[in-house]
Amino acid sequence: MTRISLGRAVLRGTVSTALMVSLMSVPALGAPVDLSKWSPEYVRSIAGTQDFDTAGDCAKVTPLDYKGRLTFWYQGVFEGDPDLLRQYYKDFFETFRKTYPNIQLEEQALTYNDLLDKFRTALLGNAAPMAVRLQILGGTEFASKGYLQPLKPEDVGYSTEDFWPGAMKAVTWDGVTYGIPTNNETMAFIWNADVFKRAGLDPDKAPATWDDVVKYSKQIHDKLGIAGYGLVARKNAGNTPYRFMPQLWAYGGGVFDEATASPTYKQVELNSAQSKAALQASYDMYVRDKSVPVSALTNQQADNQPLFLAGQLGMMISHPSDYNVMLDLQKKTTGSDKEKAQTVIDNMRYGLIPTGPDGKRAVVFGGSNIHILKPEYVEGGKVDEPAAKAIICMWTSPEWSLKMAYAGSNPGNLNGFKTKWMKERLDNIKFLDVTTSMLPYGIPFPALPQSPEIMNIIVPDMLQNALTGAMSVDQAADDAAKKVKALMDGGL
Amino acid sequence: MTILTGKAEARRRLQPDRLGVLRKIWEHRADYAYVLPAIAVMLIVIAYPIYYTIELSFFNTPPGLQLRDKIFVGIDNYTAILTSPVFWKVTSNTLIWTLGSTLISFVLGFACALALHRDFVGRGILRAILIIPWVISAVAASYIWKWIYHSDFGIIGAVLVGLGLTDRPPNFIDSVSTVLPSLIVVNIWREFPFAMIMMMAGLQTVPDQLLRAAKVDGANAWQRFWHVTFPHLRNVSTVTILLLAVANFNSFIIPWIMTGGGPSNASHIWITHIYELAFGRQRWGVASAYSVLLFLILMSLGYFYVRALSGNEQRGGGE
Repeated sequence: MTRISLGRAVLRGTVSTALMVSLMSVPALGAPVDLSKWSPEYVRSIAGTQDFDTAGDCAKVTPLDYKGRLTFWYQGVFEGDPDLLRQYYKDFFETFRKTYPNIQLEEQALTYNDLLDKFRTALLGNAAPMAVRLQILGGTEFASKGYLQPLKPEDVGYSTEDFWPGAMKAVTWDGVTYGIPTNNETMAFIWNADVFKRAGLDPDKAPATWDDVVKYSKQIHDKLGIAGYGLVARKNAGNTPYRFMPQLWAYGGGVFDEATASPTYKQVELNSAQSKAALQASYDMYVRDKSVPVSALTNQQADNQPLFLAGQLGMMISHPSDYNVMLDLQKKTTGSDKEKAQTVIDNMRYGLIPTGPDGKRAVVFGGSNIHILKPEYVEGGKVDEPAAKAIICMWTSPEWSLKMAYAGSNPGNLNGFKTKWMKERLDNIKFLDVTTSMLPYGIPFPALPQSPEIMNIIVPDMLQNALTGAMSVDQAADDAAKKVKALMDGGL
Repeated sequence: MTILTGKAEARRRLQPDRLGVLRKIWEHRADYAYVLPAIAVMLIVIAYPIYYTIELSFFNTPPGLQLRDKIFVGIDNYTAILTSPVFWKVTSNTLIWTLGSTLISFVLGFACALALHRDFVGRGILRAILIIPWVISAVAASYIWKWIYHSDFGIIGAVLVGLGLTDRPPNFIDSVSTVLPSLIVVNIWREFPFAMIMMMAGLQTVPDQLLRAAKVDGANAWQRFWHVTFPHLRNVSTVTILLLAVANFNSFIIPWIMTGGGPSNASHIWITHIYELAFGRQRWGVASAYSVLLFLILMSLGYFYVRALSGNEQRGGGE
């Protein structure tokens, strides 16, 4: 408890200042939730202050007795998510069916890594669902190709100002909005205090910089023989860019200039000295110090979780939900393992993601968005728009955008922070403050149709080329920059 | 008169008895009517995709454009493939993967078939056990083996560290030098029972009297195998090897699930590379060009397979 208070004290200063600076320029000061005041304390002060009638609000968009049919795909829960989230997903669909008993809903859950491939294939065969909930990375690709219908929060009864400006950027292409954010997330830095202590590090202090991460990782490995930092470098898996990009941005690098205030995405920066320094840090941990899991090249974050729970991993980047995942995993252990797992849970600490050498801190501003397809790409050639808007209204409502992000991220609809469930969540979900505090450091992936390939293929390829020794750090970065340039130039 | 003569000539030309193949079709028109629906389905599900893939292979399909807005680039996709270092890496991986998996699976399967051909106590149980890898789904097998190899949780690493043979678990599927052999081991584990079953079936057809005659003539066990059994199994061996080769060349599940072609393309074979190009990177044009080349290679293998089969039929399935 003392540690959390200490964390809050640190956060109070840094977060308030950073938020003020970073969000004052955002044209959302007249928003229902005042972003300029955003801080963990502010979030606590507004939680539970307003009641919302979800069914009543959505009835204004689509009458509750509306009769129709809806096909809907969504990025659902996966093996790394806590049971709590599974329950909320189940509850959502049950509630939707009760609220709209005459809408015949055919929903299909897909995992993060499968959804894009399957959705692309379905679109090519004009066999897509009427509505889809996609990861934040995917929206622009499909909007730019003309698959999506224009759709903005106002179309389902909300206001654009009810959503994070950064998230709205990810659903906007060529000045038109093509979707609504369902949830938005920033991650945090997690460490095991006991491991830190045994390795001779301050158990209550997260590494301040990425150079410290490299140093701490080595120290943990050398002293205890376990992995220091949970590096993830699997290709074609969302976990990799979510963990590497914060490091790249902190060192001052980037794919383009996406980390700047007004990105133009013109100049490729993957081969800059700063980007190379970030790649070098990963190389130092994996190759030079051998202080990260050997399996990092095939690992996903879900592989780091049991490793952390087993006390075999010192530090990692992840969601607040990882705490709940650890509790779920602990329930499944028996005998002495149960006790061991409890020790790890008791020693679980969350802090801000480290900065780069120049004090720059960054995290991926992630999340998901919900979209409606154009009829010509939908199986059967028809879209039941009122039915689609009904589910979108419900999912992006203050109530459900909060519940569906309960343990993992934050509600897309900022009014979710005002609900009673947010108040309950603040009491029940440990370390939520920390990830909320990372929000001002959130950098969205470039809102470009090429982003999925860049983030899921080219960046992980660069990491793998360097970490396997197939290329030097310089060669890997230059090669990746060349690939991004060719991609942007429309090459083969 | 000239016109009438021409019409008569035309009629004469259309007479079925003058038309060779057409005549045959005409005479068997009722038979063809029966297979017409099947032919139509084949054209839709096989011929059209082949045509469309060939067509796509001459177009560029940048990620920002819909497929219907593709740009004609002539043979650029083929040139790009053949001049790309990844092509040669992937091709060499595919050859190692296909040859390694096929030959070792065959030899191992054949050896097991020979061992199980003898009569001994527990033979039935052993046969059943050895067939298990083949009946396990490739997806499940891939996940099982991924965990077996896993350097942090895997049993192999744990045993090696436990025995003090290494202080750090080996990174079987995270290392460019060991990933392909590691995947081949999994593939062999899954495939050798197929070869075993095929060869066991073949062994049932080797006439006992020949083996007995050879024994009477003083041939030792090796000589009986090499001069009697093996020649007799030539055709079934050819078919087994060809089937395994085609399956391996086209094998997707194990490398994709276990490594996704990584690390650093070290386990990418043609089919996984094509999948990544098409579905991960939306390079439909380049992926189609790869597919056309793959199609030609598999057709060649198919040709040899059909020849081997027809050889079998001509010889009545045995000698």
